[in-house]
Amino acid sequence: MATISMKNVHKAFGDNQVLNGVTFHVNPGEIFGMLGPSGSGKTTIINILTRQLSADSGEASTAAESHEIGLMLEHDGLFNRLSCLDNLIVFETIYGIPRARTLEALEKVGLSDAHKTEVNKLSKGMRQRLVLARAVLHHPKVLFLDEPTSALDPLTARGIYQLIRQLRDDGSTIFLTTHNMEEATHLCDRVVMLHGGQIIEEGAPQDICNKYDAHKTLPDLESVFVQLTGGGLE
Amino acid sequence: MRNFKAIFRKQLLDSLKNMEIMLNFALYPFMGFLMSTFASPNFDGVPEEIQQMLAAGMPNMMMMMATMFAGMGLIPVVASIISEDIEKKSLRFLTMAGVKPMSYLLGVGAVSFFLAIFTTFAFGFIGDFGGTRELLVFVAAMLSGVIASIFLGATLGILSRSQQASTGLTMPAAVVLGFGPMLAQFNGTISRLMTPFYTQQLNAIADYFSGGPAAAPLWQSFAIIWANVIVLGIVFAVVYRKKGLAQRG
Repeated sequence: MATISMKNVHKAFGDNQVLNGVTFHVNPGEIFGMLGPSGSGKTTIINILTRQLSADSGEASTAAESHEIGLMLEHDGLFNRLSCLDNLIVFETIYGIPRARTLEALEKVGLSDAHKTEVNKLSKGMRQRLVLARAVLHHPKVLFLDEPTSALDPLTARGIYQLIRQLRDDGSTIFLTTHNMEEATHLCDRVVMLHGGQIIEEGAPQDICNKYDAHKTLPDLESVFVQLTGGGLE
Repeated sequence: MRNFKAIFRKQLLDSLKNMEIMLNFALYPFMGFLMSTFASPNFDGVPEEIQQMLAAGMPNMMMMMATMFAGMGLIPVVASIISEDIEKKSLRFLTMAGVKPMSYLLGVGAVSFFLAIFTTFAFGFIGDFGGTRELLVFVAAMLSGVIASIFLGATLGILSRSQQASTGLTMPAAVVLGFGPMLAQFNGTISRLMTPFYTQQLNAIADYFSGGPAAAPLWQSFAIIWANVIVLGIVFAVVYRKKGLAQRG
């Protein structure tokens, strides 16, 4: 049974039809990537799957309660005047987990040394790592990551990839959105491509690249996307 | 209880580091202290009513500043805390983690009440209201007014989409409730119009401390203040049900 599924979901904001019959599913314990340019509806899909938004029609489900979901969204929602540790302690108290796990989460994202630093003094990359630490603090069943490495340097991004794989190995299902095709190629078990509010391709990154004979020195999902849509990514 | 504890701790730490908020809790007693200590009742050009009020002693001045704190200080603080968490999307993460909106509001309200206790006692001790009984009457009146202000601030915070919007919403309420009792001292019509408002009754309690002719019995002032608490509590409940918080974070 799929952990996440959408069947023929439509969603419009006024005259703007953002989702137009989106159908896909995510299997338990896989890293699933949703690829598409900015404004293609990726965040809307996350909002629907996390029950923050209703679909106009169709079915959407996530096999997890709200508190079993980890979130990393465009707006980080951090408490700016609190330290990194105090931000996590808020959620540690809500989830009722031991302090050791909070410190472990900070260590995993490389923020142990900055645990006393106020959030408003952090760089964008450090904020993003703190958001990831908050998202994984309670070992969520399902993790939604919206552009998880968009503000990170390559080295930090690799550390994040490692953490995401480790979470998958520990049994979490991971749904991530990105417009970074290279990231999707290396990280995701399966991807879908979203364009014009519809899914235009679906499968394992390597299989999609093979299908369209899109190889440079590395498998190149971006070329596939350009072939399919006639346009590039932002 | 766990959620309330998390929100209370978060909000207390956040408020203590927020200069704008702490200024609101400290400024009014400080201003009351300055005015009652250094203002001269015989200063040339000061209207006779003001001179009389100053001459009546510290309690009146302190009561006026305490009234302004309840009306002008506290309402924008509570509205600003809630609207900031809505605007920055922090509330969304809290509700997604399982915090019920009512637990969140209780936590925020409890921190505002907790900090207001210190402000109230600062007024009480600087104001020198007389004996223990007078101090207790003052503290009881003020904290009742504080509860009314927290309800009103929370209602306006829920209605605001952003911190900037909350300023626009709270300012008219703060001006009426904060300045109204002061203006009422100079104009009978304004005094009658302000009678149903809790800040006017807080100010009226000053007569009890100054020993002057009371505009109304003490119990009547308390009854009006608590009627305000109940009405504002009902308004808050209606707005909360209608607008909610979970979908707004």
